[in-house]
Amino acid sequence: MADYEAEAGRITIKLVYYGPAQSGKTTNLMRLHDLLQPEMKGEMMTLETHNDRTLFFDLLPLGITAPSGLLIKFKLFTVPGQVQHDSTRKAVLSRADGVVFVADSQRAQSVNNGAAFENLAENAARVGLDFERLPLVVQFNKRDLPGVLAEEEILARWQGARWPVVFSTALIGCGVVETLRALLEQVYDAIDGQMQLSAVHGLTRPAFVDAAAGLAP
Amino acid sequence: MSPDTVPAAGFDRELGLDELLRSVDRARLADALVALLGTGLRLSDVRGRELLARGEVHGGVRLPVRGEMEPIGYLECDATEAQAAAAVVLLQWILRANARYLMASELHLQAVHEDYAELQRRHAALQESEARYRELALHLEQRVAEQVQTIEATQRRLYQSEKLASVGQLAAGVAHEINNPIGFIASNLNTAQGYLQRLGHWAEQLPAAPDLAAVQQAWAAADLGFVLQDFSDLIDESRSGAARVARIVADLKGFSRVDQGGEEAADINAIIRQVCNVAEGQIRGRLAPVFVLGEVPPLRCNAAQLGQVILNLLLNAADAVTPPGVVTFETAVAQGQLRLRVHDNGGGIPPTVLPRIFDPFFTTKEVGRGTGLGLTVSNDIVRAHGGRIEVDSRPGAGTTFTVWLPLR
Ligand SMILES: Nc1nc2c(ncn2[C@@H]2O[C@H](COP(=O)(O)OP(=O)(O)OP(=O)(O)O)[C@@H](O)[C@H]2O)c(=O)[nH]1
Ligand SMILES: Nc1ncnc2c1ncn2[C@@H]1O[C@H](COP(=O)(O)OP(=O)(O)O)[C@@H](O)[C@H]1O
Ligand SMILES: [Mg+2]
Ligand SMILES: [Mg+2]
Repeated sequence: MADYEAEAGRITIKLVYYGPAQSGKTTNLMRLHDLLQPEMKGEMMTLETHNDRTLFFDLLPLGITAPSGLLIKFKLFTVPGQVQHDSTRKAVLSRADGVVFVADSQRAQSVNNGAAFENLAENAARVGLDFERLPLVVQFNKRDLPGVLAEEEILARWQGARWPVVFSTALIGCGVVETLRALLEQVYDAIDGQMQLSAVHGLTRPAFVDAAAGLAP
Repeated sequence: MSPDTVPAAGFDRELGLDELLRSVDRARLADALVALLGTGLRLSDVRGRELLARGEVHGGVRLPVRGEMEPIGYLECDATEAQAAAAVVLLQWILRANARYLMASELHLQAVHEDYAELQRRHAALQESEARYRELALHLEQRVAEQVQTIEATQRRLYQSEKLASVGQLAAGVAHEINNPIGFIASNLNTAQGYLQRLGHWAEQLPAAPDLAAVQQAWAAADLGFVLQDFSDLIDESRSGAARVARIVADLKGFSRVDQGGEEAADINAIIRQVCNVAEGQIRGRLAPVFVLGEVPPLRCNAAQLGQVILNLLLNAADAVTPPGVVTFETAVAQGQLRLRVHDNGGGIPPTVLPRIFDPFFTTKEVGRGTGLGLTVSNDIVRAHGGRIEVDSRPGAGTTFTVWLPLR
């Protein structure tokens, strides 16, 4: 649940990019860092090994201020996708307010996507997140590659699920902002009641989404 | 599943200036900043707590020091704006490097903790399944006990049915045995009646007979000399037949007390003889019993049941031999127990068959002939008497069953 620090006049919202190894989680954050122009944007912290595999996490901090003066801080994390880093993945996932599941569209990756999604559901339960209510967006990345599943096929598969599906080519920044916006909308709904964003802090949902995921001019 | 314990503050918590400076040699940092700025300086966190101070500060410049994004402290000095800004950039690099290190190491610790928790969880799961198995084992014991009871009940029923079967066999044999003498006694009596008529006829002529010669002639004509002789033979034969029937009936009476399973002091040698008598019809022509019966004390036992054991062993021997066979009953006291040996010179039991002969319904005999219960029931009976049955058999060398019965 979003973290409210009354003394600092700040809430912190944790968003986690989850998914199988090499699906493009880190790339999503890098492109967001380039593309977004929110009120505040920290430097991106990456913890990668020599061959670009995330070892611990990546972190991109963003910030906006509500009309009330409340600072809303977003911390965008990526998890390491490699199977063996499950405990790290779980620790990064804990206390998440929203999740982007970055799937790899390549047909050959379907099994890995499925396993990673199951792993997400399992770990969510383990860290005490209610997976059924957790704001979640499913992103099918690498649309530029040959041999990817057709959009219709993917949509048909995810038809029954309540999560929005977004197609992206993170490598060129395509779809990454859209993905974040889709997540922010859900997150707003999930925390508005408790944080009184509209009632007390004068922040509507569109304003919230635009402020956080506003594009650079 | 209950959520794992997640530390209240994780690797992703907000890091304050104080914490970020914890691993830094503050004196050397202050020296470097003083050298860079050329003035005194004051570094404080957002709450105004002073974390680093050197020399005098007269409130010239005050710049925010940012952590991830927002200010986490302020640098005050009397240098130029540009100098102060450069110092802040330097400071922020150091802080960011520290943040990176702190977060990574804490996440690592958390992951290790998770791994450990996972291990503990597996251990707990293991213990749980172990407990389940223990319970199952307990349950199993109970099930086995129940099963044993069922089997015991079945065994009792088997015992009853084998008893009926052997009694039935016996009855058939006995009927045959009795039928024989009864048959010739009846025919003898018929003949005797005819003889009596012939004698009567001759006697009728006596009053009118002219002389002795006529009487003698009539005697001879009716062949009454032979009749008299044969009459006597018939009666002898009939008497011995009747005696035989009487003996069978007496033995049968003894044997038929199978149901009145009471304990009594019995003479095992007498029981053996009795059983052989009763079964004589069934073994005649196939098997001759030989008795090597020693001086044995009376045995407290259920005589009817032991009789059944002996009958089973006898009938098995009869089935095993090629006529004319021999079965030897030998009794003795050995090792403080009563030992009964029943040896036959039959075909013996193949080693593959031997381990199974006491199994219920195990029989090598043709359908209808063997029940496969004889030895099962015999074994039961002997065990109920606190004894045991041993077998020694080799194909071709015959078979010896040894029954050990404790003398109480
Ligand atoms: N063609 C193509 N390649 C992409 C796309 N997105 C990411 N990649 C590439 O895929 C590889 C993995 O990308 P990362 O962002 O490091 O993947 P990750 O999900 O962070 O991987 P882990 O940290 O190991 O879990 C890199 O070589 C990226 O350049 C895309 O949309 N199209
Ligand atoms: N004296 C014996 N000689 C050879 N085989 C024997 C002898 N006694 C028992 N057996 C073997 O043991 C089997 C089981 O005997 P039993 O339990 O009395 O059942 P049944 O006589 O109805 O077959 C017999 O079928 C036979 O194969
Ligand atoms: Mg990565
Ligand atoms: Mg038998």
